[in-house]
Amino acid sequence: MLEVTGVSRSFGGVYAVRDVSLSVADGEVCGVIGPNGAGKSTLFNLITGHLAAEHGRISFLGHRVERLAAHRRARLGMSIVFQAARVFRGMTVRENVMVGLHGRTRAGFVSAALRLPRHRRDELEIAAEASRALERVGLAEWADRPADLLPIGQQRALQLARALCARPRLLLLDEPASGLRGNERERLAELIEELRAGGLTILLIEHDVAFVTRLADRVVVLDLGQVIADGTPAEVRADPLVLAAYLGQAS
Amino acid sequence: MIRLVAGLLIAAVTLALPAVLDDSALAVYILLGLAAMVTVGVSLLMGYAGQVSLGQGAFYAIGAYTAALLALNGVPPLAGLVAAPVVAALSALVIGTPLLRLRGHHLAFATLAMQLILLSLAGQLEFTGGDIGLQAIPQFSIGSFEAAGAATYAYLTWAGLALVMLVTRNVITSRPGRALRALATSETAAASSGIPVGRYKLVVFALSAAFAGLAGGIYCFYTGYVAPGSFPVLISIQYIVMAVVGGLGTIWGAVVGASAITLLLQALNTLSALPGMPTYAPSVLSYAVYALVLIVVVLFLPQGLLPAVTDRLSRKRRSTPVETR
Repeated sequence: MLEVTGVSRSFGGVYAVRDVSLSVADGEVCGVIGPNGAGKSTLFNLITGHLAAEHGRISFLGHRVERLAAHRRARLGMSIVFQAARVFRGMTVRENVMVGLHGRTRAGFVSAALRLPRHRRDELEIAAEASRALERVGLAEWADRPADLLPIGQQRALQLARALCARPRLLLLDEPASGLRGNERERLAELIEELRAGGLTILLIEHDVAFVTRLADRVVVLDLGQVIADGTPAEVRADPLVLAAYLGQAS
Repeated sequence: MIRLVAGLLIAAVTLALPAVLDDSALAVYILLGLAAMVTVGVSLLMGYAGQVSLGQGAFYAIGAYTAALLALNGVPPLAGLVAAPVVAALSALVIGTPLLRLRGHHLAFATLAMQLILLSLAGQLEFTGGDIGLQAIPQFSIGSFEAAGAATYAYLTWAGLALVMLVTRNVITSRPGRALRALATSETAAASSGIPVGRYKLVVFALSAAFAGLAGGIYCFYTGYVAPGSFPVLISIQYIVMAVVGGLGTIWGAVVGASAITLLLQALNTLSALPGMPTYAPSVLSYAVYALVLIVVVLFLPQGLLPAVTDRLSRKRRSTPVETR
């Protein structure tokens, strides 16, 4: 489904990501872990289109996407849950989730300004789907509250609802567990397990090794911008290079 | 219920005022309505979509010159009035394509520069009448009906304002409006929801320019002449002050802000024209007051007049958690 081949990106002459290749198969949960500064976020931004790759290819569902703008990649079926709370301010929880359906609906400025039938059809569909998504992540009772007042755990659930509304083929999660308390983390893990059981393909980028090894079918380990291991959670955990990278950081 | 009564009351007062005001008061009433029309666009652009324009006066001028040139060349005034917002919006699309790559204060300065360039062009070119501008613009008319007297222009202005407010409300409470409000928070997250951020910023820039253009079109028929001097840079700043004072990101706030500032300026004008006032009184009073009003509002009512008042009211009534716009 997602094929990243030899991708590199440098900042001021220093490579943040260097010659990284990884692939995510249909229906798989792939985890990317690595110590701080390993290039996880850069890799994430290269895949989603918020950074341009200097070298390498990225193909998604058979399309070459490394030169496509972020919103075009989103419309092909990539949905994102960001690490930093990216809920839209000044909008209710429901409206935030409704934004997730943007790519699947068409009513533009003219039909909105004139309240044409297309606008009404779209709005009904959007509202219904948003309600279902809120239900699914357990935010239904918060629907009409301002989104920026939610606690961080629920903001992440909100982002997840927004991402699911787009009916993604691939869900990208950027450090979804960071900043969450124990029970919030557990709720999120359960939600991701549900999605996996439903057959959704997920790329999970995460600092927390335990969180990733619990959820992922396969784990890719980054260190200093390069892939140092790629395998099942058990294989990766036993890999001497991985141990060195983490222990090296700890000492 | 309260909203409905308030709405009917406002509509009744708006419709009744032209019948009772004298000509000099009507002039204020018309200019207030025109300023509100532009300010609604500024509020849409700044408050909802998070983009700054210090050059809305340029689109006001483009609308005015468009309608004036067409009318002077024998085109029916109604066609001129329709062309004014269209030409303003098209200019915004052309100007905005390079400009909207900028953000924050870079965008603000670029739009300011755009207005200065347009004004100096209008002052130099022959077909715009140079510094003297265009004069003897015919009265506004539709078929055999000709606008005579300020009251007609007052109705035209406030009908235009109602249209602009309705379009704005319809846009912001819909799919494209949610997209605009989303990109104001985070262009990254908006793009990842499939929103073409660049195109949407351009469209909202054009829409706000269209509102300013419509106001400019009405203005040129009402005054009968346009000149570069009618559109100083200060006028663009004035729209921003109005939008901020009234409350960014509220439609009615734009009207409240425009009313408050227009009436305040009028009062200061009267004050500075009193016998015994020094000759520099008018400019000092108006500039100083802009600065003062802006500082006071930002310090004490950062959300603007209207949100501050409605917040207080709803808190009094009961603690309603959410206010839907």
